Amino acid sequence: MFPTLVSTVFSVMTLAAPIDTTVPAERGQRLEANVFGGEIIVKTWARNAVRLQADPSSRTEVTISSVGSTIIVRSEGRRGPASAVDLNLTVPVWMALDLSGVYTDVTIDGVRASLEVETVQGDVEVTGGEGQVSLSSVQGSVTLRGAKGRIGVHSVNEDVRVMNTTGEIKAETVNGEIELEKVDATNLDANTVNGDVAYDGPIHDGGRYALSSHNGDITIGMTPTTNATVAVSTFSGDFESDFPVTIKNQKKGKRFDFTLGRGGAQVELESFQGTIRLVRPGTAASRQDHDNDDDRDTHP
Amino acid sequence: MSDQWTERLSEYLDGELQDEERAGLDAHLRDCAECAAVLADLKRVAIRARALTDREPAADLWPGIAADIGATTPSTGVPAARRGGHPGRQWSFTMPELAAAGIALMVLSGGAAWWLHPSARTNVGVAAKPPAPAIVAPASSRTRPRGYDGAVSDLERVLAEGRGRLDTATVRVLERNLAAIDSAIAQAQRAVAADSANVYLNSHLADTRRRKLELLRQAANLVTAVS
Repeated sequence: MFPTLVSTVFSVMTLAAPIDTTVPAERGQRLEANVFGGEIIVKTWARNAVRLQADPSSRTEVTISSVGSTIIVRSEGRRGPASAVDLNLTVPVWMALDLSGVYTDVTIDGVRASLEVETVQGDVEVTGGEGQVSLSSVQGSVTLRGAKGRIGVHSVNEDVRVMNTTGEIKAETVNGEIELEKVDATNLDANTVNGDVAYDGPIHDGGRYALSSHNGDITIGMTPTTNATVAVSTFSGDFESDFPVTIKNQKKGKRFDFTLGRGGAQVELESFQGTIRLVRPGTAASRQDHDNDDDRDTHP
Repeated sequence: MSDQWTERLSEYLDGELQDEERAGLDAHLRDCAECAAVLADLKRVAIRARALTDREPAADLWPGIAADIGATTPSTGVPAARRGGHPGRQWSFTMPELAAAGIALMVLSGGAAWWLHPSARTNVGVAAKPPAPAIVAPASSRTRPRGYDGAVSDLERVLAEGRGRLDTATVRVLERNLAAIDSAIAQAQRAVAADSANVYLNSHLADTRRRKLELLRQAANLVTAVS
């Protein structure tokens, strides 16, 4: 099928496979896409238009419509549930996205706008995103690179990784690790139940950095000249540091505070039964991995 | 959170702003992540509250839940949220109300699950009963949720009754993760019992219980999404 250009203000197109169609987009419009299963792959281009490419089975109908400020892509079963379909979307870099699915992997590359992604059984891998960025999977991993803004990354059963990202960050999972590498967070809240948490990035005056785990280790990159008031809490875990610290306030149990530099940031490190480590900046993730390897060697 | 627009978000949501003000706030929202986030929270509160019926519960859930999870936030957000039962009602949250609503929303989700689940609205008034395995069998008698345990058991019930509609792998994952949280809660409870004055242990226990409620809410949402 030849690419089609649709210029009506409101349109709903039911498309026969294979699909390759292009719909004009006005600045400020957002894209909503939902597929029950398959993969949603989003790339960007310089045109103010959305290109949709897909090859659904005969049982599955893919529609694209433009309703007011939203361009909507849906896949639905003609009789019964939709079968898996891969959507390849090319969008303007400014276009906000709201993507969802059940058995759906989502990959986004290059969008500089707010993103909301929700899937159940699928991985989420995003490069880009600005403003509100919310990525969530129940059974899949979530990876975010190069985003800027207010970031929320959530999984339940897999790891969460954030790299080269700036802003306020909330990262959480239940049964997975959280790795925050080359992240410039003004505020950070990272927590997991069964997994390690590693943070490597600047610690800003006035910022709050809360890293917690129940069963895992906490590793954070810091130096003696970092400006931070650090609160360490554990029940049966340990504390290690690459440099000496002077404990200011030893509380009952394994809890204590200390101040580095002028103490401008508030850093809270908590692990119920894991090890809390201060390491040289740039080494948090590798130290975490190394320690995990040691644990595996020791406890086969 | 303290700019000139923050207090206007509720009016914005209600469609009460003049065109010029609305355009100004639209422009502001494009650049202000904090206001955009507050607006998103307001919308979530409104959506949740609209899902509630007008029927008044026999007791306010919040005090019990607050006591159970160790929260101190007042319950001002609950009645505020409940006002949305009538279509066309106005949404006016003060910022403190919104802050309270943000926390109460999580709690309301438990209550909302109860309200939204028709079979859960019979035999009202029987004392609720707490802890249970990660996913409990449907109870024969339906009880009004009381505090955290009530919210948890109602969400567990929604999940138990809807698990047949979920993929078995998803159910296994949810069960495994709920079990992991239950194990963490049990360990934290033992630690608190041994050192009840330990602020970290108490807050860790409260946080872990909150995580369970959030995961159950997420699971209940999955069930309702496929219904």
